[in-house]
Amino acid sequence: MGNDAAKPFDDLWEAEAADDEFDPLAADDGLIDQEEMDDDNPLDTVDFPTMRNMPEGMRREGVYTPERMGGAEAAVRSLLDHNPARRPVLLAILGWCEDGCATSELTRRVDEAQEHNRSVYAPTTLCRMLERAGALELEMPETSDAREDAAGGVEYLEIRERVDPVWRSTPEGLAVRESLTQGAAFRDIVLGRDARYASVYRAVMEAVERAPRSKAYIDALVDAFPEVQSPRRFGGHFVDMLERTDALEWRDRAWRLTDLGRSLLPDVRELAEARAASSDPSGKES
Amino acid sequence: MEERVESMGVSSGGGAAAGGAGAAAGEVDLAALMDLRARTYGMLARLYRKEVDLDVLRELQGMRFPTATGNAKVDEGYHLLYDYLRGAWDDSVTELAIDYVRTFIGHGVNGYSAAYPYESVYTSERRLMMQEARAEVLKTLRENSLKRGNWTEGEDHVALELEFMQRMTLRTAAALREGREDEAVRHVRTQRTFAQEHLLNWLPLLTGDMRLFARTMFYQGLAQLTMGYVEEDEAVLTELLDGAPAGDGE
Repeated sequence: MGNDAAKPFDDLWEAEAADDEFDPLAADDGLIDQEEMDDDNPLDTVDFPTMRNMPEGMRREGVYTPERMGGAEAAVRSLLDHNPARRPVLLAILGWCEDGCATSELTRRVDEAQEHNRSVYAPTTLCRMLERAGALELEMPETSDAREDAAGGVEYLEIRERVDPVWRSTPEGLAVRESLTQGAAFRDIVLGRDARYASVYRAVMEAVERAPRSKAYIDALVDAFPEVQSPRRFGGHFVDMLERTDALEWRDRAWRLTDLGRSLLPDVRELAEARAASSDPSGKES
Repeated sequence: MEERVESMGVSSGGGAAAGGAGAAAGEVDLAALMDLRARTYGMLARLYRKEVDLDVLRELQGMRFPTATGNAKVDEGYHLLYDYLRGAWDDSVTELAIDYVRTFIGHGVNGYSAAYPYESVYTSERRLMMQEARAEVLKTLRENSLKRGNWTEGEDHVALELEFMQRMTLRTAAALREGREDEAVRHVRTQRTFAQEHLLNWLPLLTGDMRLFARTMFYQGLAQLTMGYVEEDEAVLTELLDGAPAGDGE
């Protein structure tokens, strides 16, 4: 090994070059007969599929489309459900585009909204997702006529105005946004399916209302409640549910209560008190 | 002659086109001509090296596109680029990225599924990469004291070959400005030899394949522009050398 390590690199290259069998880039002649290839029509020489000749039936459509989901509203809801981290910005886009919003302005707003929650999706990609689901429509402006000019004896074409297409929310998109931003999801999950944890939700929401909190703080806070011991629930569950229902947001490296969450906090308090009043002293519900 | 190349070169918002006007009226400003060539080669190299991003798209949209260069391929290339770019917006970056992959990478394994941007593919019998052409380009780079830097692919990539022309053009411009005419002539000779023995040897095949695979006017136009520009540039270099004193090896 010691001697091998001392060998100059040239030796290694020569050794490899001498091995005629080693040719990682060689085509498999068992599959491709290079001799038979028709040089004049290279695309027809081999039956490997290429994008150019892929049958229409093999091409994949978008997942969250009105056709697949049985309507635009269902498609938009599915899109939002399956992209929980992008849900706030997707809903915000629908709001900004209610009366139409130019792409440049929308890009600025989306970048600003995602400053603390970055995404690999470009703003236009998010818009395309909503468009495929039937929540947005794109209005392409007419491109300006070719403009010819001359300078220094050279005639040239110049782009004076860049196109800035306008995105506009569809009635279906706005209807979904309306239903989701008025607390419907919060009432369904927090005040409905998760009602037994009302006191925990109240504690978490009151804590983040007083000051932005870390995940560790919320974990410790939640762990003190007997309701979360069996079945075991951790702070993450409550953060997830509150974020999914637009009551909680991550900003400036901390969890904060949203305006919607603040407006719904009295309902949570009321539910928690009602449940506490109806429980027996041992903590069991009557 | 300068007008001939100047009318083909890229310019941004009134810079180069206006800048060269004085020289065109009087004596030929060879250094300015080299700057213009370097800018065009630099742009072409960038467009082949990787996908267009938003900054590059904006820069391209700020360019002026000559309409009557005297070379039909260059004219058609500029027109196609212009027609695409005047309707381009943010989403065009994605469209161009898809077309870049479709054009230069493909997804077949038969060696005929894309316009592979390597000279070796077009000049080796079995369409393989890293063949003789790559060794020759590497040798040329070394002879001219150029290292490939952070480039991790074959040196016979079209972007690297175009960038080589750009680098040698910049050296020519510097030599001219500092009065080192013999050195400038040597650099021009190197460029012409490289254009003849490498770029023009396979660009017709590459750009032909680009026209076959590209679906956007952008890459269709880039193919035409590249072919036409290198052809014209080689003619200009030959014209320049015809008037230059014979040097070593000439």
